[in-house]
Amino acid sequence: MSTIRLKGGRVYDPANGVDGDVRDIGMRDGRIVALHPQEEVDHEYDVSGCVVMAGGIDLHTHIGGGKVNLARMMLPEDHRANRQRDPLLELASNGCCTPGTLETGYRYAQMGYTAAFEPAMLAANARHAHMEMGDTPILDHGAYVMLGNEELFLEMLARGEDFERIRDYVGWSIDASKAMGVKVVNPGGISAFKFNQRKLDVDENHVHWQVTPRDVVHTLARALTELGVPHPLHIHASNLGVAGNIESTLATIDALDGLPGHLTHIQFHSYGKEGPKKFSSATRQLIEKVKAAPNVSIDVGQIIFGQTVTASGDTMRQFANADLGSPRKYVGGDIECDAGCGVVPFRYREQSYVNALQWAIGLEIFLLMDDPWRVVLTTDHPNGGPFTSYPHLIRLLMDKSFRDEQLARLHPDVAASVDLREIGRELSLYDIAIMTRAAPARLLGLADRGQLGVGAAADIAVYREDADRQAMFATPEYVFKDGRLVARQGRLEAVPVGGTHFLETEFDPGIEKTIEKYAQRHLSVSYRNAKIGKDELCSCANGGALLACKVHGRRGGK
Amino acid sequence: MNASTQACDPDGHVDVTPNWTCPFCSLLCDGFRVETEQSGLRLVGSDCSKAVQGLADFGPATASAMPSVDGRPVTADMALDAAVGRLAACRMPLFGGLATDVAGMRQLYRLANATGAILDHARGDALMHALRALQDRGQVFSTLAEIRNRADLVVCIGTDAVGNFPEFFRRCAPVDDAGFARRTVFVGVDAPAGLAGEVAQIAPEGDLFDAVAMLAALVDGRRVPGADTALADLAQALRAARYCVVVWEPGRLPAQGALIAEALLRIVMSLNRSTRAGAFILGGADGLQTANAVTTWLSGLPLRTRVGPLGLDHDPLQYATARLLAGNDVDLLLWVASFGTKLPPPSTALPRIVLGHPRLASACAGEGTVFFPVATPGINSAGHLFRADGVVTLPLRILRDDGLPTVADIAKALEARLALRRLATEGQP
Repeated sequence: MSTIRLKGGRVYDPANGVDGDVRDIGMRDGRIVALHPQEEVDHEYDVSGCVVMAGGIDLHTHIGGGKVNLARMMLPEDHRANRQRDPLLELASNGCCTPGTLETGYRYAQMGYTAAFEPAMLAANARHAHMEMGDTPILDHGAYVMLGNEELFLEMLARGEDFERIRDYVGWSIDASKAMGVKVVNPGGISAFKFNQRKLDVDENHVHWQVTPRDVVHTLARALTELGVPHPLHIHASNLGVAGNIESTLATIDALDGLPGHLTHIQFHSYGKEGPKKFSSATRQLIEKVKAAPNVSIDVGQIIFGQTVTASGDTMRQFANADLGSPRKYVGGDIECDAGCGVVPFRYREQSYVNALQWAIGLEIFLLMDDPWRVVLTTDHPNGGPFTSYPHLIRLLMDKSFRDEQLARLHPDVAASVDLREIGRELSLYDIAIMTRAAPARLLGLADRGQLGVGAAADIAVYREDADRQAMFATPEYVFKDGRLVARQGRLEAVPVGGTHFLETEFDPGIEKTIEKYAQRHLSVSYRNAKIGKDELCSCANGGALLACKVHGRRGGK
Repeated sequence: MNASTQACDPDGHVDVTPNWTCPFCSLLCDGFRVETEQSGLRLVGSDCSKAVQGLADFGPATASAMPSVDGRPVTADMALDAAVGRLAACRMPLFGGLATDVAGMRQLYRLANATGAILDHARGDALMHALRALQDRGQVFSTLAEIRNRADLVVCIGTDAVGNFPEFFRRCAPVDDAGFARRTVFVGVDAPAGLAGEVAQIAPEGDLFDAVAMLAALVDGRRVPGADTALADLAQALRAARYCVVVWEPGRLPAQGALIAEALLRIVMSLNRSTRAGAFILGGADGLQTANAVTTWLSGLPLRTRVGPLGLDHDPLQYATARLLAGNDVDLLLWVASFGTKLPPPSTALPRIVLGHPRLASACAGEGTVFFPVATPGINSAGHLFRADGVVTLPLRILRDDGLPTVADIAKALEARLALRRLATEGQP
């Protein structure tokens, strides 16, 4: 492969402490290399006047799997508009809220993103998720397997199974589904809904298994710590969207008991019940708690006004919100004693008191949190809004006057009262580079991504300086994936197949006997078919690179 | 060849593939075995009529199957050239049948992009009953393991289930000491013999449209003057059940079946306000679920979509195979039927390219047809298929290697040759 030099760009590489220094970046064989200034290269790009960052990494975006595909099927209206495409490089693919996988890959790459992680892969649907991700071009990808609502796990917890066995089961599940981490969604609540329970607080018992979300969260977080899984337990906490749910969120952080945990789309979990509408911002309580809990990281799940669709494993909460659907449609499913799925189209409106407050809460969280390494920029695509709104979100965070203009359009009671009015902070390019590259890479344990040090993968986005940060981040000058130019000024240049990140865990294979016995008695698929082998992963993921990460457990230690 | 598979030796000795996934209906049973004998393939562990019939399409090895053009056997090269000539000349092709696996659909989508094709499945009419209801109102579903562990009431609407899905009740039967009793009610059809648990059947007056509309009203608790008492009792039972599952089969519904699907959704949504309920759609066979899933994730739109030069266009009515052929709205038919002999290409005066089971050769021997014998996923090639519920995807394993190309192989070769031909004639692919 050829040698490339990016000359004279302002480099933002927080993983290596580089904050806007003007320097050259060299690439060879898909990696970043140190080049002597006089060294001949095959291609030299003059990037003076440009900002250079590692390729963006989205650690929470619903890009592949059953519920996303159901959302596509149910919303043909979201996929009717055709845009001009490059007939040599692009295949037809449409959609805004839930684009086809091809369009998803094209659009992310055109924005300077080079990796995206599906946060809610059901074990029962894992092959499908890997297939969709494999058909999402250019981006590397991976997924977190959803645990904590499978009847086997709950049964083991309920009967007081030895922790080591549960840990082995978690290790096996990651290996079998070829996951990059573990997510828990409404801990125990998806299962509880199957038993017709409509609410489950952190210290409330599951009506059938008599275990609490606190038990579920703690057990999973401990298992991941002992297995040595880099990404902290990815937690979609209890009571999503419910007024007053800050209590559950704080209790969930307590349930971690100091163990690593990543609370996802935290905006949807930061509500008080003060004020005339009994719905208020609990940002300050949240931030105070997170600041004091260094074991906790978050992503925001910012809402963006306009049409979108919410797709979640949290059937309990999705069904409760089914009547709010716009357009009024609902998809819900109970799945394989494993988990569930609920899809509700939704339109966030500036003149809705609740939506306006949600918008403000999300921005407040970004701006009040003091440690950008523990805050990741997400809209929980598509639940808060499509990923294509990231440049708009970045401008909101970097530009106080733009933010104030938007604030003025909101429901008057919100515009007149929220804390956001008083927050003058504007995030820097360095902050943005942390929240969109360096922090997600670190939280996922991707040592050679999200940074521009020598030896790192040459995933690079080059943005032309523009005071309008939305325009700047929407259309990078150049995007490189593994050292190959994939986009230039919003046009695709190459469409490689992305790789799959997954973990190889250590566990006692004796656990397979328990799983086999359970599958025979309760499930509908042979236990042997519950496992995805590496060759099979390769064919599911469309022949992309297998980016395995071996992890070594720290058994016995907490 | 897969590690779990062994061919039979020259003496015709029997070998058994223990880890087989059956591709012959969308339940994708993976608990049975197949004996590979020299004379053919034999199912072990089940008497499923679908599997037995499916396997019967595979006698002795079919290694001699050859492509043909206008009925004359030709080399693969010649057949590819003939097919590419037709594809290059057509303006509005229809890719129909689409009975293939994930890999086949992935490549067919690329080929559709290169040719501006419309995509529809042989069972497209059935799919549209479910899909149009999904697009208008939504869907609430349950899956086999959920039914097995939870459903104390199963209501089959207009289907006995076992006719087309013989293993259905066995696949979702509760275990002996499940802690609940299963009641199964059949509406508008006779109950099949030999079902475990309490079984009932009711025959409401009127057609299925009337029956489900009345049942929906009764479940909603509305006063229905002159309501059928059996339906009233059923509505009562639905409300009292702990977890009920409504089973229906799109392939058995008449025209405008989406209205029935919508009424069933209304019933299930209404029940879920106080108890728990789901639906199970018995459909998606012959790779329908797979073709629709793959098309949707790649393009953003489900089947009955045209991948035209100006972009995508989806129309559940306009892009129906029968309508397109009858109206001469397309100028070429590419037909894919890799699972057996049950889906021969529709007869038409249009040029046809058929990727089919080797035994479809005689149905594809007419003038104007290019025929490629292809492997069947789960028999003589590996692959992946989606189950009826649309959630579970299972690997299909090769039982024996007949040296046949897969649908993906042919589609990929066609795409590559078409690009070369255009490069040569038009200066661009």
